[in-house]
Amino acid sequence: MLASMFPLYKVSVPKSCPFDGHFNSKKSSNPRLKHRTTLIRCCQQRVGERERTRRRMKENYYELLGVSVDSNPQEIKEAYRKLQKKHHPDIAGQEGHEYTLLLNEAYGVLIREDLRRDYDASIGQVRFRRNVSASGLGYSSWRGPLRTQALFVDGNACIGCRECIHHASNTFVMDEATACARVKVQYGDDDQKIEVSVDSCPVNCIHWVDSEELPVLEFLIQPQPKEGHGVFGGGWERPTNVFMAAKAFAKQLKQEPASDFNQRNARATADEETPAQVEARINASMKIKMASFVRVWDFFKAAFSSGTIDGE
Amino acid sequence: MAEPAYTVASDGETTEEEKSSPAFPEIAIGIDIGTSQCCVAVWNGSQVELLKNTRNQKMMRSYVTFKNEIPSGGVSNQLSYEHEMFSGAAIFNMKRLVGRVDTDPVVHASKSLPFLVQTLDIGVRPFIAALVNNVWRSTTPEEVLAIFLLELRGMAEARLKRPIRNVVLTIPVSFSRFQLTRIERACAMAGLHVLRLMPEPTAVALLYAQQQQQVVHENMGSGSEKIALIFNMGAGYCDVAVTATAGGVSQIKALAGSAIGGEDILQNMMQHLLPESEKLFSSHGINEIKSMGLLRVATQDAIHKLSSQSSIQIDVDLGNGLKICKVIDREEFEAVNCKIFEKCESLIIQCLHDAKVEIDDLTDVILVGGCSYIPKIRNVLMSVCGRGELYKGMNPLEAAVCGAALEGAVASGVSDPFGNLDLLTIQATPLAVGIQADGNKFVPIIPRNTTMPARKELVFTTVHDHQIEALIIVYEGEGEKVEENHLLGYFKIMGIPPAPKGVPEINVCLDIDASNVLRALAGVIMPGSSHPALPLMEVRMPTVDDGHGWCAEALHRTYGSTLDLVTVQKKT
Repeated sequence: MLASMFPLYKVSVPKSCPFDGHFNSKKSSNPRLKHRTTLIRCCQQRVGERERTRRRMKENYYELLGVSVDSNPQEIKEAYRKLQKKHHPDIAGQEGHEYTLLLNEAYGVLIREDLRRDYDASIGQVRFRRNVSASGLGYSSWRGPLRTQALFVDGNACIGCRECIHHASNTFVMDEATACARVKVQYGDDDQKIEVSVDSCPVNCIHWVDSEELPVLEFLIQPQPKEGHGVFGGGWERPTNVFMAAKAFAKQLKQEPASDFNQRNARATADEETPAQVEARINASMKIKMASFVRVWDFFKAAFSSGTIDGE
Repeated sequence: MAEPAYTVASDGETTEEEKSSPAFPEIAIGIDIGTSQCCVAVWNGSQVELLKNTRNQKMMRSYVTFKNEIPSGGVSNQLSYEHEMFSGAAIFNMKRLVGRVDTDPVVHASKSLPFLVQTLDIGVRPFIAALVNNVWRSTTPEEVLAIFLLELRGMAEARLKRPIRNVVLTIPVSFSRFQLTRIERACAMAGLHVLRLMPEPTAVALLYAQQQQQVVHENMGSGSEKIALIFNMGAGYCDVAVTATAGGVSQIKALAGSAIGGEDILQNMMQHLLPESEKLFSSHGINEIKSMGLLRVATQDAIHKLSSQSSIQIDVDLGNGLKICKVIDREEFEAVNCKIFEKCESLIIQCLHDAKVEIDDLTDVILVGGCSYIPKIRNVLMSVCGRGELYKGMNPLEAAVCGAALEGAVASGVSDPFGNLDLLTIQATPLAVGIQADGNKFVPIIPRNTTMPARKELVFTTVHDHQIEALIIVYEGEGEKVEENHLLGYFKIMGIPPAPKGVPEINVCLDIDASNVLRALAGVIMPGSSHPALPLMEVRMPTVDDGHGWCAEALHRTYGSTLDLVTVQKKT
């Protein structure tokens, strides 16, 4: 568990602390940290964004402490103490400062039932908010008025034949990284061209979906870094059935505010799981994974929004 | 005693190389400078050992006498203490005076001490002097502390046969950061480098954590979490802490403290025995000092005896025809000091509340410090915590210094093959730190009892259109208004791009590291800009120096509200 903590530490520390370069320049013996000129980070973004950045960079608190989402306070405490004993500046020296700051923040949230519930919700909420506000500006942008139906390419099925791009080049685009087609602009071409392109797909991987579901689907279909275990694993993965995953995710978002606490308790005590509990558990682990995905989401979002401006 | 009084080897700020290049792990010694007594301890490789002076004493009186131009402390020559006290040549209670301005009530209460404490009540440092050959020779609390520390250092070096540089000092919870810098300065004057300044109850908590760890080792138990309340009351200060400990990690959940202690009890009793004492002694003549000293000793003695006896006969001749002959019983003693006991009670309640701990959750209640022998203190503690008995495994006078010695060993990087040093204290901030904003309001950025190291930031904005400068004034404390808090420092952000009020975002970040160094950082962001408009400012706090009682007022007079800031409401 501890070994796997380290990569995370390296990745998240400089990003999460705006003044990092500043602080370490004097005392840190770690030149890698010193050279990161991240000290202007906090100033680059507007308040709301910064708040989100902070959340994104510091999550996942559960991962940071090396505990599962349904762990009880006792387990969290033990994990926290164990990590503190390794990284606290009294023991690890000044280099432990940044990491301990993160630990303290994570622990402070997870140990308090109310804050933890908010935090659990916020992991989902970040996306939930986007669902609403970004319905037109998700991965794919919209041309013309918002419609109830949207196009979605299931990257798992796509064979990269470029047939759709050939028929509707303003709507579809080839994602070279994944070798799959992707929707760039919803309704980028007239309806006829789009219809032809959908029909022309040899594997029928282009779907008409509910516009509201689109952001979640597009988010889930992005390949995400896979958690490695020792020498195994790593690499990239995405849900094999993106529609199921999206459904589960949406359901979870609805349930969360009301019954989060009870559910967790039930989950912890029950030995035999009802189908609902199985689903809840899957949802929870999905949530952890989702957390680490958000980075990628933002990257693509940035790439796309600039592309849209060019297009129009 | 032919060596120079003290040498200024280094200042608090210039000790960077000490941390980075330890040729060998020099074990820091733990020092507990009490208001009245003091002791030194060190990790000797297998356990904590208290160092004894040449007179084979572990506890030494904290005082320095100025006599024949050569000051000497109470490390070795204890016998002369009482005699010197009557002559006005002895300075003591430095810990109550250090880093305080002359408007401070604690300084005013010290005016009845048998040496000169003069106040002008304008917010500067008080004038302190010892009577040497009928001359009031001025000194400062830092100097007195330094002289005393130098003697302690000499004693420790003689005992350990090695040079001593690094120390862990225990300090009261209620010390402001400015007072901490004064302690560091005194150590620097004595050629000592402060590795850690530990609030006294947290040192006790560390010792408790070690003891619990050992119990677990012996019983091969599971080592479940134990929550303890620590109440420490010495001559000068009263501190409370709630700690949660498991596996050798002591996690401080809350701290509370106040500048009340045995000295206040003593003064109340002196006042009670001789109501006109303050007026009588205000002239500070040689005879008055002698009377004052005699009264002090007699009262002190009576208080000590009242801990074991239910009543005591006081019979003392103060000279000048003044005689006190009185029988005091314990009820009377408790009535006279009821305010102090009430304050103790409220501190305990506050600390429990801050820690969010119910009394049933407490595994142990620990009472340490010189005042722990007073029956009323024990009763108050036991009744508030709902206990029939208190934790017994500690020597109440040595617990803090032992904890400091343990921390010294841990922070020096020493490890113990038997796991006795497998310890850690996770400290919390005893006071909130923040800046002035929204008029004269104190806006905390790092709240009280935040786990250290801590870093928090808040966004502020300008109050005037085209405001190009902003003043950041950093305070520490709990009051809502800035005047009720300790001023730590101030700096100005200049060159904010002209914009309507409320537009520039001024981001203020406070960072406290594990060795309790506070840094304030501030940057300006203009909306729509991807870069900070100005280079960031990083200021190590506190920046204030002596006479800081004036600073806030002077700043206000000069700038009014022209450079003010307001908080930005969180956008939700």
